[in-house]
Amino acid sequence: MLKKYISIMRGVALAGLLMCSALLPAQTTASGVINGSLNNTSGISIQFDSDPAGVTLGAAGTNAATANFGTVSAFGPLSGGVTRPSVTAGNFTVRTIFDVQVISGGLTSTTYTLTANLAAAAPTGMNYKVDAVTLTTALQTIQINGAYNIDIAHNLDLVILTAAPGAGGPAVNTPITTTINFTATAN
Amino acid sequence: MNGTALYYLLFHLTMSCNFKFGGMKALLMMGVLLCLLASSAAAQTSSGQLTITMSVQSSITLVFQNNPSVGTTGFCPLTNAGTNNVGLDFGTAAFPGSFHTSACVNYTHLTAAVYEVSSAFDVVVTKANSSSPNYRLAAQISTPPPANVSWLLNNVTLTTASFTTLDTADSYATAITKTLQVHVKNTVAAQPLLETITFLATAN
Repeated sequence: MLKKYISIMRGVALAGLLMCSALLPAQTTASGVINGSLNNTSGISIQFDSDPAGVTLGAAGTNAATANFGTVSAFGPLSGGVTRPSVTAGNFTVRTIFDVQVISGGLTSTTYTLTANLAAAAPTGMNYKVDAVTLTTALQTIQINGAYNIDIAHNLDLVILTAAPGAGGPAVNTPITTTINFTATAN
Repeated sequence: MNGTALYYLLFHLTMSCNFKFGGMKALLMMGVLLCLLASSAAAQTSSGQLTITMSVQSSITLVFQNNPSVGTTGFCPLTNAGTNNVGLDFGTAAFPGSFHTSACVNYTHLTAAVYEVSSAFDVVVTKANSSSPNYRLAAQISTPPPANVSWLLNNVTLTTASFTTLDTADSYATAITKTLQVHVKNTVAAQPLLETITFLATAN
């Protein structure tokens, strides 16, 4: 009699378990988190842009551009974008205009100082000026309050002695290449 | 290690100190903060390079200038003097009566039937970046003049056929005085006599 009772109770319990399991919902969700981080730092970058009134720069929009004046002379024709603002007995000046843009981010600084220097001593008979500042291999200040994120035009003057080659003047009919280093420093 | 990490490290080390130095901990903290401020205030810089290329070429230029005696007889003023494109007006002249309206021209009867008007001016040729010691000067008229009219420079008759050499070794940057002459026979009909004279300087 007791065995029969136990058997019945087992059956009832099993049936109950089955019914309960059928009523429980399936596990269809999961969760997780991503711990994102960003270190936003400050910085500035300089680039050279072609000016509408100047020669078209090679690699414009970068920090390593080129400006080709073509063939220049005291009295002959000049390339587009090159002007000759002065000719004297001792020298003549050819000029082009280029733009400098300094882009800033994460700075409270509102202006920058622009300096420049020749990468090497100027070739014989040649002088280089940016905005009337004669360049040497030492840093020269070009601008003390440049505004960020806009093109700022600068005059690039090549002052060339009229003396003959070998007499103080530059070599003729020979490509002359000079590199000017520019540095922008946040104020 | 960036500044923030350094700060936390130093902060942790500082706060872990069990020294009983009183204000020493505060001073140390202050020093750390000053260092961090100094590092964050370091100037932001950016550099670039602009490379310039060009080639210098020898060149010479020619301009016409008024002679220092301008205004006196034989030295009429040029219009647009100091350039390479000037004007020289002899006014009105006729054979009979040695008639001429310009006070600065030199009027002469060369023969019984030909008169001459003339005026002098200066030519200046300048060189740059050249080893040339001197230059040649030549001239040419652009249109054939009417019969019995001739244009001359320093008594050398000009033609339209080719450049006529005037000088073979003129000095640079030195005023070279040239006299432009017009010879007109008395049989030439009344008419304007216009001529463009091209000067050519060539480096030697």
